[in-house]
Amino acid sequence: MIPERTTLNLYFINKPNLDRLAKSLSKTYKIFAPAKSDNKRFYKEIGENGLVDSVIGEIRAVEPVKNFYFPARTKVAEYFSKKTSDKKEKPIAIIGAKSCDLASFRVMDYVYAKEPFRDPFYVSKREEGLIISSDCTCYGETCFCVAIGIMPYPTENFDINLSEIDGGYVAEPGSPKGEKIIKEHSELFQSAEPYIEKINSNRKKLKEDLSEHVKKSNIPPKDSVQGAFKSKFDSNLWEDVAKTCVECGACNMICPACHCFILMDQKNGNNFERLKMWDSCLLMSFARVAGGANPRKLLAQRLRNRFDKKFNFFLDTIGVFGCTGCGRCTEACPGKIDIREVLSKLQRS
Amino acid sequence: MMIDNPYLPIKTEVLNVIEESSNIKTFRLKPESLLHFKAGQFVEMSIPGRGEAPFTPSSSQYEKDKLEITIMKAGRVTSMIHSLKKGDIVGLRGPYGKEYPLSEFEGKEILLVGGGVGLAPLRALFLALVHDIEKYKNVLFCCGSRTPSDIIYKDCVLDKWHNLDKKRIKLRITVDRKDDSWKGNVGLVTTTLDNLDINLKNSVSIVCGPPIMMKFATFKLLEIGYKPDQIYLSMEKNMSCGVGKCGHCRLGNFYACKDGPVFRYDKISHIHEIWD
Repeated sequence: MIPERTTLNLYFINKPNLDRLAKSLSKTYKIFAPAKSDNKRFYKEIGENGLVDSVIGEIRAVEPVKNFYFPARTKVAEYFSKKTSDKKEKPIAIIGAKSCDLASFRVMDYVYAKEPFRDPFYVSKREEGLIISSDCTCYGETCFCVAIGIMPYPTENFDINLSEIDGGYVAEPGSPKGEKIIKEHSELFQSAEPYIEKINSNRKKLKEDLSEHVKKSNIPPKDSVQGAFKSKFDSNLWEDVAKTCVECGACNMICPACHCFILMDQKNGNNFERLKMWDSCLLMSFARVAGGANPRKLLAQRLRNRFDKKFNFFLDTIGVFGCTGCGRCTEACPGKIDIREVLSKLQRS
Repeated sequence: MMIDNPYLPIKTEVLNVIEESSNIKTFRLKPESLLHFKAGQFVEMSIPGRGEAPFTPSSSQYEKDKLEITIMKAGRVTSMIHSLKKGDIVGLRGPYGKEYPLSEFEGKEILLVGGGVGLAPLRALFLALVHDIEKYKNVLFCCGSRTPSDIIYKDCVLDKWHNLDKKRIKLRITVDRKDDSWKGNVGLVTTTLDNLDINLKNSVSIVCGPPIMMKFATFKLLEIGYKPDQIYLSMEKNMSCGVGKCGHCRLGNFYACKDGPVFRYDKISHIHEIWD
């Protein structure tokens, strides 16, 4: 069911005014928004030109939003010094993040922001950052969010969400931070009344179209994915899937919910520094210990582990999948491993 | 609010290096600030700028400002650690994970089963038990090593520990292969579990050693009559960050670094791949 949105708490902002809003926010934030290149969307820093090149609607960018909160490489210690960072950078604002990326914060916040050990590098970015998200206005070939219970429009983890409509957007605050920004820029916003019906029907239509598209993939109903995975744990499905896997780790890197990293120590002049870098569970060394024991020696075991983590572990641990249906891994895989196809094979005998 | 940086090591001085065997050394360490561990918990030890690995301290948890770590030369980081000398500086983080639940052991007959360098965490546990020995019925420590020269803590295992409290504390020492000097038992550590004079109903057993030894010792204990909830294992996994974030040490729905490394066997017996 699509929750009907009422005029309560919704505002209209036209395109020139959104540009003005972005320019105003740029005093406080370093702003990134997707821009198109080669028919794909990539996050680009917003400069003096404002949002002219930006694509607020359409679908997710190629790179996941995790890049901004959990970068591929972060210096996490300069030991043995207690000081944490050299210079204070502006916090990051993202305009145009999509629902599949926002859903991944459930996983990332659980891993990095939960007591007793909180990751100060992630937490400070989350607390200081700003997210102005937006509805998808179409779907990509590999998109399947609706199949696992995520809508193609944001429902959580945004400060302000934008639903595109002719000439502008309907803005919905999702946090006190978002409300404050709207209040402080009230001259840029108008009543959303005339647009509500259209926005609701746009959402409904996209959800229906995407559901129709996803049907072709035969993904098990979301409530039976975990059971299906468990029933196939010991099957030869994983060896079949592993046949074309080249252990490149692209699926891990591009996944908005893959959180694993490796700590790497190095010398930097007279200092020693420690880097936190993305790691891939598909690599042979991932679970290996010094003595040589390795619980996942076989590639098939490692591939299965990836699905285990996403469709079993996180469901048990925090009640959500470690997959948001963004389809990036399918696009990134040089071995043409399609996550939807693997899911569909879980329920076939 | 400032959050402590969980990735930052504490500057630590190497006070002494003790050669235990041809490939095992014990490092006596003094961290710059207190790092108070409980037996069974682990720490991350780093060579500045070169790398880091997890180890369970082998000294008494009651020694406040110093600790000992016994390390087998097995990989890249442990090889670098083995070349450390007195006065060198290393990094330490921790302590991390769950300790041995000493309160659950009170009033019980305690069986420790250790193999090779797996004696290290058990030494810390043994010393904690000895510290309050009146709280426990008795302790039997079964130690297995490959050959007599591979036995670590030789002065304790072969001598001192036998005279601590002859009524309450007993040891059974065995080697897989003897040499000319060896007069003691020969056989795998599982052979020391035959003819136990223990009331199984009021006993717990704690196992630590290489994966293959842990597997067969656990199966032997089950065969003798121990229930899965009476067996505690120290699982060796690739604990890299130590704080449940990096993902390397996942064991089913657990992370060995924060939910272990000490696990009661009944909690993990259903998990695939635990012995590998």
